[in-house]
Amino acid sequence: MMEYDDQLRLQAYLDGELPESEARRFGEQLERDPEAAALLEELRRTGECLAGFEEGVKLPETREFYWSKIQREIQRREADAAPAASAEASGLAWLRRWLLPATGVAFVALIGLLAFRGTRAASPGVVEVTQSDSGAFTYHDYSAGATLVWLSFPAEGEIGEPEDLSTLE
Amino acid sequence: MRAAQRGDMAAFEELVARHRDKIYARAYSMMRNEEEAIDLSQEAWVKGWQRLQQFQGESSFGTWMTRIVINLCLDQLRKHKRQRTESIEEMDEESGGVERQMPVVTVNPTAGLERGELRQRIDRALGQLSYEHRTVLVLHEFEELEYKEIAKVMGCSIGTVMSRLFYARRKMAALLADLKNESGK
Repeated sequence: MMEYDDQLRLQAYLDGELPESEARRFGEQLERDPEAAALLEELRRTGECLAGFEEGVKLPETREFYWSKIQREIQRREADAAPAASAEASGLAWLRRWLLPATGVAFVALIGLLAFRGTRAASPGVVEVTQSDSGAFTYHDYSAGATLVWLSFPAEGEIGEPEDLSTLE
Repeated sequence: MRAAQRGDMAAFEELVARHRDKIYARAYSMMRNEEEAIDLSQEAWVKGWQRLQQFQGESSFGTWMTRIVINLCLDQLRKHKRQRTESIEEMDEESGGVERQMPVVTVNPTAGLERGELRQRIDRALGQLSYEHRTVLVLHEFEELEYKEIAKVMGCSIGTVMSRLFYARRKMAALLADLKNESGK
């Protein structure tokens, strides 16, 4: 009796699944082995019996009835999918309506903030010197209804060029 | 096809009419149950409609649809499999197989039969195979897949495909011969 592996190899030979060189060698062996040849014939005949089997199988429903069920199911699923698609679309609409303008506003605010900080960074001491170290003071005479303002120039703490200072002296 | 892909349902209905027998037949070969085969073939058409944009024409439309119904049947058969215990047949296969011991059927068991009668016999014989054996046989004989393609579809090794196919063929030969003997009595 053939070994099981040889039986499977015989089947692979029949199905064209053996490499060409092995198939040729196997074909030569078959000519000398009647048992293998008989098994090969059985396998081949079984395949031939099955050929065409499905061609005779017919759908046991009319075209109209079969299609009506398919069509109904397609429509039902599309209807089920519609609210989900609608929710998704409304989400996108919300995004377009609110999020995009909000993003624009945030962007403008950010630009403004950066510009302001940039200005401060460019002249860090001017404002402070002007306000706290200007050397200006006022005298208000209520009886005369007059206000005098003294300004020292250059202001104390202000860095001036040496020649300017000498000129003032 | 183009019209159906553009959403023309009447065009799709024409495709269904043209291929419905083939798709149903494949489902029936695998499921061996008329009602399930109708349900699964219908489901295949619904999925076909939903995925129609993905069809690029690498294979024929009929082949593309057949693959959809095969996958649906395999999913369904796996569900059935989980719901039942292993059959004796499957245990035989796992333990080395009884098919190697079967005597070779030397006469043509279907010789002289009418086409309708032959179909009935094959139908009954297919019904006596386990779903694993039947599926391998259907994928090889009807779908004409190679061993490696069957292994991929069924999630098993090529060696398992070979042994299942061998068992299925030998069992079919024996069953068809028995059926002929029974009818001859």
